[in-house]
Amino acid sequence: MRDVAIIGASTTQFGRAQWSLLKLMAEAAHGAITNADLGGRKIDAVYVANMGSARNNRQAGIASALVDRMNLYPAAADTVENGPASGASAVKNGFLAVASGMCDLVLVAGGERMREVNNIEATEFVSFLSHRYAEYIYGITLPALAGMFARLWMNKYGVTSEHLAMVAIKNHSNAMLNPNAHIKMPITMEGILHSPDAEMNNPYIAEPLRFFDCCPVSDGAAAVLLAPAEMAGEFTKKPVIISGFGQATDTQAVHERPDPTVLTAVQIAARKAFDMAGLKPRDISLAELHDAFTILEIAQSEQVGFFPEGTGHIALEKGETQIAGKLPINTSGGLKAKGHPVGATGVSQIVELVFQLRGEAGKRQVKNPKHGFALNFGGFGNNVVATILTKGA
Amino acid sequence: MEHTVNAAKCMKCGKITYPTHFYCPACGSTDFGAVAVEGEGTLLTFTRAYTLPLDYEDLYLTLGIVEMDQGIRATGQLDIDEPATGIRVLASVGPVRDVDGRTVYGLKFRAV
Amino acid sequence: MLDQLEAALRPPKLEMAPYPAKHILLANGETLVVRPASMDEADVLLEIIDPLKTLDRDFYDIVSARLYAELLGWKRHRVRNEYCLVGVINGELAGIVNGRMFDEHHGISYHTLALKRGLRIGAHLFASKMEHHIEYLGQDEVWIVAESPIGHRRWMIEYPLQQKFSIQHELGGAPSWVLTRETYFKARPRLVTGTRPVPEELLACSHPIRKPDLRTMLVQIGDTLEAKL
Ligand SMILES: CC(C)(COP(=O)(O)OP(=O)(O)OC[C@H]1O[C@@H](n2cnc3c(N)ncnc32)[C@H](O)[C@@H]1OP(=O)(O)O)[C@@H](O)C(=O)NCCC(=O)NCCS
Ligand SMILES: [Zn+2]
Repeated sequence: MRDVAIIGASTTQFGRAQWSLLKLMAEAAHGAITNADLGGRKIDAVYVANMGSARNNRQAGIASALVDRMNLYPAAADTVENGPASGASAVKNGFLAVASGMCDLVLVAGGERMREVNNIEATEFVSFLSHRYAEYIYGITLPALAGMFARLWMNKYGVTSEHLAMVAIKNHSNAMLNPNAHIKMPITMEGILHSPDAEMNNPYIAEPLRFFDCCPVSDGAAAVLLAPAEMAGEFTKKPVIISGFGQATDTQAVHERPDPTVLTAVQIAARKAFDMAGLKPRDISLAELHDAFTILEIAQSEQVGFFPEGTGHIALEKGETQIAGKLPINTSGGLKAKGHPVGATGVSQIVELVFQLRGEAGKRQVKNPKHGFALNFGGFGNNVVATILTKGA
Repeated sequence: MEHTVNAAKCMKCGKITYPTHFYCPACGSTDFGAVAVEGEGTLLTFTRAYTLPLDYEDLYLTLGIVEMDQGIRATGQLDIDEPATGIRVLASVGPVRDVDGRTVYGLKFRAV
Repeated sequence: MLDQLEAALRPPKLEMAPYPAKHILLANGETLVVRPASMDEADVLLEIIDPLKTLDRDFYDIVSARLYAELLGWKRHRVRNEYCLVGVINGELAGIVNGRMFDEHHGISYHTLALKRGLRIGAHLFASKMEHHIEYLGQDEVWIVAESPIGHRRWMIEYPLQQKFSIQHELGGAPSWVLTRETYFKARPRLVTGTRPVPEELLACSHPIRKPDLRTMLVQIGDTLEAKL
């Protein structure tokens, strides 16, 4: 297997798109392509991460459509659908294509345009991820699964609504430093939890989770360009190496897990990624976790191995996960505030790590990062992809 | 018409799984018989969900996961005003959703 | 003295109690002052909502266009017993609600328009409007229609309102939904917040109404829904 480098990375502004899905993805892809100096070389293959274009945007075969929109023929093109983890899955497929020696230049673009339908329909469309006969028919949505998970977690480890709010406040304030974030608005503990007006400012979505515990519905796209590490120097001065990957699955119905607070797929995916990279959690300089709901950032920060069981919220409380802390988490603003266009998310987590490792993260730059970790969480944790990136020589 | 919700009982090793899988998680067999999800259980966790699909006109739905005395867990709707984890509940089958104008039946739990 | 014809064109008025201002702490730490708008503020309100009349997203266009016409009718005395409440943050307009008294016992809710998104300002203002009808105008019920799916969720389902389809709402004759005193007082602890009285300096800050920056407002609301190729 060859080592694989990321030689270009780009993202569009997340939020409410003014453009069609294809144009959005083309903008991100163009950004990644022009980020590298290809000297006229052609792209061999394109992987596109997307979950709902056929339903929400009336466009199926989105990878072929993107190649056409951009004029990249005759590149091979495949759509990768792994729910909210489509992005990291697509990067993984691109990685395998290059590592195997089958392809040299591979473009990976993730994109979603969810706001073409209204919010309620968007929530409904994401709920198709749940088990059709054992969950979906009851009106289960992703927020509902997260609410039931949060109640178990909070009871077990003494996590409070304040802890959840701290995740949201931190990620909103990180997003204020990210020009491409969807929500650029500070929030305060008073305003979302403690004042008498807070109940109305921050209503329940799925108890115990409130409005500001949930990610917004966003449009957006992100893209990376991959090349063999040995050739990367021809295309860029600042290659970033994909040093680890791990992926694992778990039961689709959350109730079937022996202990529903244990996210087995998260644990296995992370362990595999660390093993492949030959690294330990303590070697990681910063992480992008899948905080579609605030509780998930706390849970994942423990289950990938950054903090011992039951202490994720304590590290958070101590400020260890802030940009200036020991292990900054979600410097981009996370799904919570950067936004969560499902197909784009996994790619955009990787784009954030690339920006950070290249020292290009502007006001949210972490000091001298060496290794970045991303966790992309599909379904409610039934298909999880972990990625580790390392700053190139 | 009588509605039931079925779990799968492995004909080889006797393990009950819900929902059904093609291979038995305990012994790998592919031979199953249906057993109804029924009786009492203990409420493991629950939520009141407020952002609902368009076919619900309710303010919220109360949803929960129950550890059935049968040895399986099941997700369903709770007809319980003030649920609490650990309470005892009884399963029944009733209308849970309208999908494309058709009523779908599933598990509903009430307190005992 | 009004000339006779003009006097005849003006619908007769009923006595209307004033709405006492209140303030609300928002999620981002800013303070929203909710207060009645005076008629001499109609011009600035019209100016602010004018560019939203063509904004085809979440029914902002139809709501703004109708609100524009209603405010004009109010300013020119062509509507009976209309009132208008504004939500103001640091002097800047953040949202508008309006309505009128049909008769002593029945109120009509017109429109709710949030100019700053993501802070539940629309929900706070709608609740203030219901508070006005029931608690200050002392009415028995308010007739309401929603023009958008978001509106339907927020009002019809969240309060929840009852159907009263025997009555046609003024807005296009759509069948009315109704908020009764009973539903109001049941929903009140959950949905109606705010503190009174508003400290004098804070209230002073809400005059005169400043226009939000047009670009910021349009970007916030989402300047276009149509996908461009
Ligand atoms: C309807 C309206 C008044 C609501 O304003 P608001 O309460 O301030 O709502 P916010 O701007 O805070 O809502 C922000 C977002 O959170 C969502 N939201 C708000 N409260 C929510 C809740 N309790 N549960 C779930 N989502 C919620 C909204 O859908 C909205 O989503 P989006 O921006 O991603 O589309 C406003 O959207 C508006 O002015 N719309 C145009 C005019 C209109 O439709 N008026 C109503 C006519 S009846
Ligand atoms: Zn078996």
